[in-house]
Amino acid sequence: MRSPVPLSALAISALCLASTIASTHAAESKLPIFDAHIHYSHDAWDGTPPKAAIAILRKAGLKRAMVSSSSDDGTQKLYAEAPDLVVPSLRPYRKRGELSTWVRDETVIAHVEERLKKYRYAAIGEFHVYGADADLPVMRRMVQLAKQHGLWLHLHGDSDAVEHVIRQDPDARVLWAHSGFDRPEAVRAMLKKHRKLHADLAYRNDHTSGGKVDPAWREAFLEFPDRFLVGTDTFTPERWHYIVEHADWSRAWLADLPPDVAERIGWRNGETLFAAMMAGKR
Amino acid sequence: MTFGFAERIARLVFLGAGLALLSGGPAAAVPIEFTDEEIARIASHGPWPPDWRGDPGNRASGNPAAIWLGQSLFFDARLSANGRVSCAACHRPRSGFQDGRLTARGLARGTRNTPGLLNVRHQRWFGWDGGHDSLWSASLRPILDPREMGGSAARGARLLKSSPSLACHYREAFGKPPSADDPDFLPNLAKAIAAWQETLVSPPTPFDRFREALADKDAAAAASYPQAARRGLRHFLGRGQCATCHAGPLFSNGEFGDIGVPFFVRPAGVDPGRQGGIKRLLSSPYNLLGAYNDDATRGNAVGTRHLRPEHRNFGEFKVPTLRNLTLTAPYMHNGSLASLRDVVRHYSELDEDRLHSDGERILKPLMLSAGEIDDLVAFLETLSPPAPPQPPLPPPGALPCPARR
Repeated sequence: MRSPVPLSALAISALCLASTIASTHAAESKLPIFDAHIHYSHDAWDGTPPKAAIAILRKAGLKRAMVSSSSDDGTQKLYAEAPDLVVPSLRPYRKRGELSTWVRDETVIAHVEERLKKYRYAAIGEFHVYGADADLPVMRRMVQLAKQHGLWLHLHGDSDAVEHVIRQDPDARVLWAHSGFDRPEAVRAMLKKHRKLHADLAYRNDHTSGGKVDPAWREAFLEFPDRFLVGTDTFTPERWHYIVEHADWSRAWLADLPPDVAERIGWRNGETLFAAMMAGKR
Repeated sequence: MTFGFAERIARLVFLGAGLALLSGGPAAAVPIEFTDEEIARIASHGPWPPDWRGDPGNRASGNPAAIWLGQSLFFDARLSANGRVSCAACHRPRSGFQDGRLTARGLARGTRNTPGLLNVRHQRWFGWDGGHDSLWSASLRPILDPREMGGSAARGARLLKSSPSLACHYREAFGKPPSADDPDFLPNLAKAIAAWQETLVSPPTPFDRFREALADKDAAAAASYPQAARRGLRHFLGRGQCATCHAGPLFSNGEFGDIGVPFFVRPAGVDPGRQGGIKRLLSSPYNLLGAYNDDATRGNAVGTRHLRPEHRNFGEFKVPTLRNLTLTAPYMHNGSLASLRDVVRHYSELDEDRLHSDGERILKPLMLSAGEIDDLVAFLETLSPPAPPQPPLPPPGALPCPARR
């Protein structure tokens, strides 16, 4: 004689099923995120191997992640693991510690040229350059190579450096990391002046507080809804453990914007800007 | 011709160096003088101890019965789930109320280095992550945390009811008998323990005496301050820019920073530091915005009211006081640096890529020579008393109650 299934067990099963459906629905209804500012440098590889790293990106609900690394091998490891998810960007640093020296080190040029021959990228960067250093030979060559290969320049620096780059190539496509840590009014002025300039919001908090968008930034987002992207900036290996939380935090403040603007900043702009690369073209 | 005070100090030091050479001591031919600006900056690290007027958020602050009760409870392991872990198990009086371990060990092994408690009354945020905005709420957490003491209101009430002296001092301090059903009971226990910790003040140090000598323009008294420590002090104020964060009499600005110390936690995961601390604090019923703050004006809660976690807070930890460091090795939030020399080397060889270049960067690798490292260590050692202060002991078991006022 079989024991009858108790009603309570049936009720629990039904609850579990409902809960699974609800959480699946919740995951599906989450705003996708294009994270434009991920690093996977050598000190992250052991603690967060490529499979684990990709699992984190997927858990965060990222539609895509633009990744650059010191050395570039990190980017290639992730791209090989998930070409549907990773948008590779070529960081000119061969190892950690070149952040403040690379722009005066002309051996960087050969390194970047060699990588560009070997792999496909959407951008060169993120690199750090300030003021007139953007006119130094290494940086000039980066601008030329970006033009030659149809790549973006992911530039971490001040508005002066951006101006120098755009003077070298008025058609240069610059993704301005952290929006230069500049005030929203100054960022708006730069976007107005340079129609190909785009800006990421990585490692910034000033555009939102308690889920509400700051009024000055709101004006910037509404005036230039196609020019902003979000990003985590995993500049230390520990910050891989922050990607999921950062994506949710981004969704929270984006929800305070009109839905179409939120979608564009959250993911559509990234898709549009890097579409050629994703389609397998240079 | 008359010499200025700084010049007289320099001449004295130079003379001292000459004597050292004659006596076969360490060669130090360069006179160490301080400019008026440096002397003013040195003055900002005192006086010691600074003024303190009690904690308005703790009704038991300064109350003798509460202090006696708090001291008793601090050393009483019966507050813990297994009856073997007291506050003093990790906060050992003879070690500056630290335990000498990399990370704390209560009922289970923790992930953070035990902070010392000397001068704790002068802090603004408590714990490596600032997860508490009062000393009393910081004192309650380890009692309840299952990894530390695993205590409870019921256990605490049983302990107090089992001892006429403890129960009497509780009544004297808080005006009612101990009861596990009273929502004030646990906060009151913690407030008593905090009231006792407020009495833990370290004595003046060689640095304090040197600072006073400079302020008094007493060249003879100033001359006893070691030459290496003077050189280290100059690095501390100047090239190292250490005083930017390690400011004031406590040698801490009371805030939080990322100095490039890894913050992984084994076997997997990270310690989010200040970012997690802010979240924990804001969600705690025991924060200063809550019902247990005894400051009716809530003037002490302004800082808490304006807290919001930011990306930079992820992996930030408290800027620790530099006083009494010789008692509290190992160092950093996870005890990862064994000695003061290791700490100075960390700053000397700082990995810049671990620090975000957001705005003006304070931290740069100092690239110190071996001698400069020695000098900075010599200076830091003068921020501790030459001999460990006499540690307080558990109070005698049967003090008359009510406590004397």
